[in-house]
Amino acid sequence: MDDSRPIFVQIAELIENDIIAGALPEEAQVPSTNEFAAFHRINPATAGKGVNVLVDDGILYKKRGIGMFVASGARDRLVAKRRDQFQNEFIAPLMVEAEKLGIGEAQLIDMIRKEGTA
Amino acid sequence: MSAVVEVSHLTRRFGDTTAVDDVSFSVQKNTIHGLLGRNGAGKTTLMQLLTGQDFATRGEIRVFGEQPVENSGVLKNVCFIKESQRYPDDFKPRHVFTSAPWFFPNWDAALADRLIADFRLPLNRRIKKLSRGQLSAIGVIVGLASRAPLTFFDEPYLGLDAVARQIFYDRLLEDFGEHPRTVILSTHLIDEVSNLLEHVLVIDEGKLLIDQDAETLRGSATTVVGTRQGVDAFVADREVLHRDGVGGLASVTVGRLTPQDRARATEMGLELSPVSLQQLVVRLTGSSRTSSSQTVLEQSA
Amino acid sequence: MSTLTQPALDEARIDRPGRASNILAVVRLHLVNRYSVFAVPWMIMAGIFVVNVAIWWIIFASVSNEADRMDARDGLEYSGALFYIFVYMLVLGIQSVAYTFPFALGFSVTRRDFWLGSALTFIALSAFFSACLTVLASIEVATHGWGLGGTMFASFYFGGADASWIERFGLYFASYLFFYFVGATIATIYQRWRNNGMLVVFGTLGLVMIAGIALVSFTNSWPSVGAWFDSNGPSGVIAWSLVPTVIAAITGYFILRRATPKN
Repeated sequence: MDDSRPIFVQIAELIENDIIAGALPEEAQVPSTNEFAAFHRINPATAGKGVNVLVDDGILYKKRGIGMFVASGARDRLVAKRRDQFQNEFIAPLMVEAEKLGIGEAQLIDMIRKEGTA
Repeated sequence: MSAVVEVSHLTRRFGDTTAVDDVSFSVQKNTIHGLLGRNGAGKTTLMQLLTGQDFATRGEIRVFGEQPVENSGVLKNVCFIKESQRYPDDFKPRHVFTSAPWFFPNWDAALADRLIADFRLPLNRRIKKLSRGQLSAIGVIVGLASRAPLTFFDEPYLGLDAVARQIFYDRLLEDFGEHPRTVILSTHLIDEVSNLLEHVLVIDEGKLLIDQDAETLRGSATTVVGTRQGVDAFVADREVLHRDGVGGLASVTVGRLTPQDRARATEMGLELSPVSLQQLVVRLTGSSRTSSSQTVLEQSA
Repeated sequence: MSTLTQPALDEARIDRPGRASNILAVVRLHLVNRYSVFAVPWMIMAGIFVVNVAIWWIIFASVSNEADRMDARDGLEYSGALFYIFVYMLVLGIQSVAYTFPFALGFSVTRRDFWLGSALTFIALSAFFSACLTVLASIEVATHGWGLGGTMFASFYFGGADASWIERFGLYFASYLFFYFVGATIATIYQRWRNNGMLVVFGTLGLVMIAGIALVSFTNSWPSVGAWFDSNGPSGVIAWSLVPTVIAAITGYFILRRATPKN
């Protein structure tokens, strides 16, 4: 947990990361709010808020009396969302840093290619 | 959500000193509240007023809907753990844990036993001979095992080492998750408990400065770091909380930044670093409270 | 709070019991550390008893003349040995408030429940101790002074050798109550007004006593004072002590009512 963003946002992101990485497959049960809270040492209400964000986004759904589960199609939706954010979150800062260091576009593409084959 | 505690224009004066100055707030049920502030800010006095141990000069207090002074029906559901708790002269910890259940109807003996083991508390040693940490452990154990619907912890960790403090926070969270209750925790180790808190009350010189949801408070200030010209340009039209710098570098703390603001800062080559709850409270209750900190307070209200 | 993922949570119950339950809890609290409340008084009494037995034995071993022995026996009737036992009750009274009140306050006990619970505890203890002393006094009378002609329990101050056990019990009981409530009330003064309060109260008390002594002296009333004690006898004086006892019991409550745990 870091201080730059609200904790519930970070919790939501951690769960999203797990879904994208495949650690939480579709229809799998997600740990309970209390388990999240205890593991990350945060307030259960905050953990609950993070989970609720994902419920509102349709990434998770609840089965009454049992718990929270990953919705079907969740991974696809998350990947699509992350792709949209990719430009702003990674490309823009990359370009700023590259400009600071005087790395031109051609050089950048070379670097990307090199990274791809490594 | 119902309010477990409601305070209205509460004032407590001791001769010339005003320990609590026209304070009004309410505490929601089943939440963990932090009562933050400097030493002598009025935290302990406020808690003593809320638990009927001290008497208000002016104002109203309602705990579970009734005024708490000399009200055994209300007080049976309240547990107040303070660091200066006195024990009868030749008491031993086992006397404390034997008698606590008689006063707290929700007492959980199994939890108490587990905590005694966790804190390695010697049950048969005279309390006079215990270390400061062991003395604090008694208070912490009583507070946790009491399961009182309204539990106050007034800086309960004095003398507890970092490991013991972590045990306290972990057990508190665990128990709170399974058996929710209203907890009010006063501390000046803000960063340690910051993630546990759902709601934050900050008191300074008897006045209530902040009464805010913790998550909202967490994002309410950011530090902008970079070249002096860059930073000055960015913060030109904003209220500044704090200014710092070395050579050509400047570090300025401002209020809340929107995502667009953040993007603009990144474009300008500036770095944004987060302001922790502790830093925020320190800035706001420091010796010189400027008009800019007033603005942050207003923004977050 | 999104607690829908969890089974029904076990929230702490809000308890609204009647008044009585907390008063009994206070009684139990005073008795939880049995050592100072039961063991020590017996130890004190045993110690005093042993010392007295030694003294009696020495006296009667060194006095062989029957007439002198009668004199000695008469003298021993005025034994003040029990005094220390009652003084310990004063100590218990002070401790019950000085130590146990701040602790009880920390256990969310109201001042009213504390005062009533403490009074109940020590009235019961006083009755118990008084019963024990009465039994010991009866044994003393029956054995003609423990076989040694000594007097400790059935002393002149507590009815002498002829008093009925009811009268003796009443005298012990009233004495215990007096010392308890005086001690407890003194301690409440400290709880409410701390050091300054103690200085003011005892300073004033001292002045009042001196003024009283001056008044009696200047009006040459000492003989009347002596006559009052004489006509009332020890039983009368002890009976009159119930008045300050009750005053202390009521005053103590009103002093404690506004006491706070100022650090």
